[in-house]
Amino acid sequence: MRVLFFAQLKDATGCDSIELAPPSSLNTEQLWTALLKQFPALAAHRAHVRLSRNWEYAAPDALFSHDDEVALIPPVSGG
Amino acid sequence: MEIEIQIVPEPIAGKISLLPVGTPGAWLEFRGVVRDEENGRKISALEYEAYPEMARREIQRLLEEISSRHPCLAVKVIHRVGIIPVGETAVYAGVAASHRGEAIALLTEFMNQLKQDVPIWKRRALPAVAANVNLRTSSSGQSADSHRRLQKALSLDEALVEIRSRCRPLPAVRASLEESFGRVLRETICASEDFPDGDRSTRDGYAVLQNDDSETFRVVDTLHAADWKPRQLKTGEAARVATGASLPCDNLRVVMQENVECTGDQVKILRRESATNVRRRGEEMRAGEAVLQPGVRLGEGALALLASVGCTRPLVGPRLRVCHFTTGDEIVSPDRKPRPGQIRDSNSILIRGLLQKFQCDVIQSHLPEDFEVAKRQIGNRQSMIDDADLLLISGGASVGEKDFTRPLLEWLGFEDVFSRVNIRPGAPLIFGIHGGSSVPASQLVGSLAPPGKMRIAFGLPGNPLSHFVCFHLFVAAALARLAGGEGPAFRRGTLAVKLEDGPNPRETLWPARCEGSGGKLELTPLPWNSSGDLTCLAETNALIRVPVNRSSIETGAEADFLPIIIE
Repeated sequence: MRVLFFAQLKDATGCDSIELAPPSSLNTEQLWTALLKQFPALAAHRAHVRLSRNWEYAAPDALFSHDDEVALIPPVSGG
Repeated sequence: MEIEIQIVPEPIAGKISLLPVGTPGAWLEFRGVVRDEENGRKISALEYEAYPEMARREIQRLLEEISSRHPCLAVKVIHRVGIIPVGETAVYAGVAASHRGEAIALLTEFMNQLKQDVPIWKRRALPAVAANVNLRTSSSGQSADSHRRLQKALSLDEALVEIRSRCRPLPAVRASLEESFGRVLRETICASEDFPDGDRSTRDGYAVLQNDDSETFRVVDTLHAADWKPRQLKTGEAARVATGASLPCDNLRVVMQENVECTGDQVKILRRESATNVRRRGEEMRAGEAVLQPGVRLGEGALALLASVGCTRPLVGPRLRVCHFTTGDEIVSPDRKPRPGQIRDSNSILIRGLLQKFQCDVIQSHLPEDFEVAKRQIGNRQSMIDDADLLLISGGASVGEKDFTRPLLEWLGFEDVFSRVNIRPGAPLIFGIHGGSSVPASQLVGSLAPPGKMRIAFGLPGNPLSHFVCFHLFVAAALARLAGGEGPAFRRGTLAVKLEDGPNPRETLWPARCEGSGGKLELTPLPWNSSGDLTCLAETNALIRVPVNRSSIETGAEADFLPIIIE
């Protein structure tokens, strides 16, 4: 599972993506637990971050599996 | 509806062609252009970042959704990413429709949604800079006046006055007791009720009326620490009480159990004590009495006091955010063996340790000596710098170091307040300040600082001893002010050993060991050879202030010194 970081989350993690290899699909809570374990600094951003799965915003009950591309989307500011 | 979407790093052309579809009666074009101001700050460019695959999908989804309500013939959207200079187009949207109403409605709705859902970010604003600012030519663009100001070395006291007057307390926040450890209290804390809230026993024993001269007493009650059983004791009556128990009525004293003989419910007093063994109501604090004043740094004792009066979310200084860059190509990581000409990085851990005492969030990174490369690297960390309250740059020991930090701070939009202090070690110290953008009022409590986030920066001379001295003298003063406290103050001590030095035109901060002895603070100067000397640092807990041109201080003479503790 590839997880991408954008904008200030790159600063928080110090990288733009990581590979996760969960033994089975993760729900939102499990995914966050895995990410926060690796990057505690993300905790401060969590309340404002939306998750995407395969280039679409993920529903709260989404399951993230090993071949998904997941992204953490901080508040956007395009235009 | 025809839809075309592009996310591109190149400039968006002045004229865009739209796919020819049907016979549009309305042709609407919109360009979002980078303005020369961002959050009240003059800028030269904005940098945008996108998650291109998802951005394209989101734009497609939005356009399809909106066009179901406002049918149009064709739409083309281009968003540029990367660094976009002021005046150039960041986003383009062209709409063709049968009638203008649909085109205008679709465009308006789309642009609003774009700013909410499409994963594109303004990564950073690049501040407007004066021309000719770059490495090793920094002074060329400056006016004669600012040049003079920057060249002038301030005295230690002048530098401290500048720092203290320029650093305003940052807005206070409410925090839990746990989070408040080490932070500066920003409100007066009053006792919520009397402490103790009633008379309490300080001994295990028997409570009797203060003026009761009876020899033997009848035990009428037993009171444990948590019990609350008011009753009026009569002459000849006693209550068995535990240490800390609330006494059943006023005007009692407690006879220690060691001093009585107990038979059934009768006690006989063997020895009378002069002490009452009672903590009286309100003895420690009265309801409404101020128990802590603003400006106090909250240690574990003060936090315990707050807990005891029920203050669980005190108003405190914010947790300070510090961004620290080391510079210099000769610096290698401490876990590597330096090649000839290289040295291990000791400043990173030194600064981290010093900052830990101030409850800061610290981000550290190394910058290469090449100014352009350094700028690019900083660009990747721009939001860290924007968020930081304090920026520290440790210069390398190289010749280029002084030239590097000042243009870098200038490039980041800092105003240079001073860049030399007449002290040793640590003379080439740079202090800069940045007005910054505003902070949302909703996140703040209290109003000590006017709106508008202020950031400060120090360029520290690269040598470890200079670092240590400049941190304790100047950075600590600035951090204390930002947090809402007072900062370090010089104290008087007595020389235990003669301090010998050649006369020096600069004020000297001499590393020393301070010990309390017979009610006096005794100072032992430690040997040091150069400002790169680290051996003395491990022991230093005081800096003796040696006045200009003073070549020695005799044993037994008094001297000012800065204690290396955080207050």
